[in-house]
Amino acid sequence: MKKFLSLALTLLMILSLAACGGDSAPKDSGGSPPASGGDSSSASGGKLVVYSALNEDNTIAIADQFKADTGIEIEYISLGGGDAVARVQAEMDNPKADFLVGGSVDLYGPLSEAGAFLEYDSPNNDGLDERFNDPNHFWQGWYMGVLSIIVNQDRFDKELAPKGLNMPETWDDLLDPAYKDVFVWANPTTAGGAYIATACQIFRLGEEGAWTYLKELDKNIHHYYKGAADVISPVATGEFIASIAWGHDSFKTQQEGYPLTLVIPKQTAYEIGGAAIIKGGPNSESAKVFMDWLLTKEAQELSVATSYRYPVRDDVAAPAGLPPLNEVDLVDYDRNQAASMKEAVLEKFEAEIISNRA
Amino acid sequence: MASGTSIRESAKEMRRLKNEPLLLLAIVAIILFVGFFVVYPVVRVITFPSLQDYAQLFGKARWFKAVKNSLYMTLISTLSCTAVAFLFAYVIARLDVPCKGLFRFVTLLPIVSPPFIVALSYILLFGVQGIVTKGLLGLQVDIYGRLGLWIVQTVTFFPYAYSVIYGVIRSISTNLEYAAYNMGATRWQVFRDVFFPLCRPGIAGGALIAAINVLTDFGNPMMIGGDLALLPTEAYMQISGWYDMKTASVLAVALLVPAIAIFLVNRFWVGKRSYVTITGKEISLNPFPVPQWVKWGLFSLTMLISLFILLVYGTLCYGAFTKAWGYDWSFTLENIQYVFLKGRQIWNSIRYGLLSSLGAAFLAMVLAYIVQKKQVGLNKALDFLAILPGAIPGMFLGIGFVMAFNGKPLELTGTSTIMVLALLFWNIPTCYSAATAGLQQIGNSVEDAALNLGANSFRSFKDVIIPLLKAPFLSGFVLSFLRSVTCLSVVIFLYAPSTTVGTISVMVLVQSGQWGEAAAFTMILIAIAFSVLRLAQYVLGKQGIKLEL
Repeated sequence: MKKFLSLALTLLMILSLAACGGDSAPKDSGGSPPASGGDSSSASGGKLVVYSALNEDNTIAIADQFKADTGIEIEYISLGGGDAVARVQAEMDNPKADFLVGGSVDLYGPLSEAGAFLEYDSPNNDGLDERFNDPNHFWQGWYMGVLSIIVNQDRFDKELAPKGLNMPETWDDLLDPAYKDVFVWANPTTAGGAYIATACQIFRLGEEGAWTYLKELDKNIHHYYKGAADVISPVATGEFIASIAWGHDSFKTQQEGYPLTLVIPKQTAYEIGGAAIIKGGPNSESAKVFMDWLLTKEAQELSVATSYRYPVRDDVAAPAGLPPLNEVDLVDYDRNQAASMKEAVLEKFEAEIISNRA
Repeated sequence: MASGTSIRESAKEMRRLKNEPLLLLAIVAIILFVGFFVVYPVVRVITFPSLQDYAQLFGKARWFKAVKNSLYMTLISTLSCTAVAFLFAYVIARLDVPCKGLFRFVTLLPIVSPPFIVALSYILLFGVQGIVTKGLLGLQVDIYGRLGLWIVQTVTFFPYAYSVIYGVIRSISTNLEYAAYNMGATRWQVFRDVFFPLCRPGIAGGALIAAINVLTDFGNPMMIGGDLALLPTEAYMQISGWYDMKTASVLAVALLVPAIAIFLVNRFWVGKRSYVTITGKEISLNPFPVPQWVKWGLFSLTMLISLFILLVYGTLCYGAFTKAWGYDWSFTLENIQYVFLKGRQIWNSIRYGLLSSLGAAFLAMVLAYIVQKKQVGLNKALDFLAILPGAIPGMFLGIGFVMAFNGKPLELTGTSTIMVLALLFWNIPTCYSAATAGLQQIGNSVEDAALNLGANSFRSFKDVIIPLLKAPFLSGFVLSFLRSVTCLSVVIFLYAPSTTVGTISVMVLVQSGQWGEAAAFTMILIAIAFSVLRLAQYVLGKQGIKLEL
């Protein structure tokens, strides 16, 4: 019996050591000077901890290129925008990460107000459209995402095209009864992205017209998913034929080989993708280097090439297969109004649409 | 047990502790430990929102509806889980039928698989375009919503109820039934008046374990709940979709109330039946044979459910080797290769699982020993502390840990330690139940003998109790390990870049549409969980102890 107990205790100790070892290893490598990178800016630190709301592949591509360019090693976690914000907020007294990247700047606003971010005005943002720069310099817009209609091309060709339907081009095309029960969407009361699409209709059609539209659309909707990106997999696999999603969220799925087609409708809404330096993080200097780097031509090109995100620089082309930004018909989206009417719109959506369902 | 002890006696018992400083020290340490790592984080979450925030729970129709839906789904799923669990337990424990190994195997699968991912299989097979529902049967069915979720929750969570009910049925002696038959009772009478009443504590205990799991699950409702709003999904989405920690905390607290209620009922109404029984009483006679039609009828039903589960997991396994999940079925090894690139996450899963389970098993054993064998005046309070983590939804515990341990007095966020500690305390009730069950089977006389011969509490614990508790210790340890390796909810807010675990990777992969890789990852995690289980069974088997979960 003693043998058994001592065996268990030994195992416990070995594992504890292993656990400690696992923790300190990255710190050691962080402390040592970077192997490559003669860039003077990288002398400030060899490591950067990033909370990334970008796709993981995308994060890896960015981290690799950033390391090649500056010698700074990025340690990241890949998580949803909301989860990332929750993290930053929960850790505010004692931040564990240096940088938050990805997700709409709408979600950076409350954190800026709470004092979670370090003020930084990157020298590389001078030439950008003013909507990408935070007047208070807490966040930085570095890409633009466009709301799209996603369609399963296989099923569309097989089932809807024979009925004489053309690929949808406008929001109003989605009201065609042919989409009944093959169309899905996300619930704005749980998904921030779906709220932007809802607000888009309000800005496009006015208050009254929008509710008529939304109730009409509701008749076609099979059900509302909880998360904005949850609609992509069912459409990709052909469980349903069409939905509304962010273009950049659908990119990876398309790359996997699914017959997913993206349509950018007229009068669509957009999100400005954010980046911010977390105040009090362990490697703030490296974080500034990263912020500057994200706005370079090369980084912007990399971002475009690995996703459906639009660049913020004029000298970088739009994603392959998508129209250039100046040809995309954007709705006049008022972020302040969208934020102030949110509670009322969601309550109404719940009362007049969702509650008639489940 | 000291159920009738008055306060005066409690005080007297506490005074006696002066003579046993080691025991006193252990008790104080345990109370401080559990208080600090369980009660304190919970209090942090509860006090995070203001009273106005709580008021919206009643003011807003959608939250109130979520409460109602959650309670309703929990109720119907619990009923069905319990019925299926009873069927499996009865067939495996009492009937002389083939394929029992298969039946046992399928009751383990749902326990060892991470959340989210299995739902993909259900949709592929039984969705609107499902291979089985539309392709094979030509049915126009709709899995999304109450009905679909009900079926999926039943299959996912009946195994938890099964292990309790099976444990109890196995320990029921058949002698009583034979006595009843001898006195002329019919089969139905024996079942109704002798067998079933003896099962009742097991059934009630199993039902409550299933209930708490259904209540706090958010993986399945996210994928197949359709328009149904439930508390755990709404709470998670308030963080994930609307970045609103305050509302999420309010909803989490709303979830905590019924969860604690279920656990209190389990504790004080059903009694202290454990759901892990390792060494049941020897059954003296073979079970009285049942009519052939009943036997094969029950067998067929069990087989049908087993095949259903096998089909779902088989699809998941097959999907792990295909190019594009549900679309391009050509064979590939790329997904599996991808998983091996993520060796660090897998190693973290194993490491944290082993450490937290070992810690939980040790702590729980000491705790169970004190509560069961020592009258220290605090037994009830200690017992409550030991089971409390079981009533706390995993996500809630995770949020609490972030809030509580990100700075003074103890800074742990971002470390391996916080992952291990969170899983450790989350697992204590599992190990505690196992240890308690084991201790109840050890008569007091053995230890009294040691005490009479001059051993103190520590000595008798070390030399008498521990050797006898090897099996419950290991079964608690193994069950905890399985839970830890496949746990997502506790760690979802706790991991850092260097401490990411397998289940997190699965979730990230599912979210970014890489379902083949996600399926492959899941298969590897399930394989690890099963290897550990088989290893433990082999080691114990060599010593003549049968480990059944």
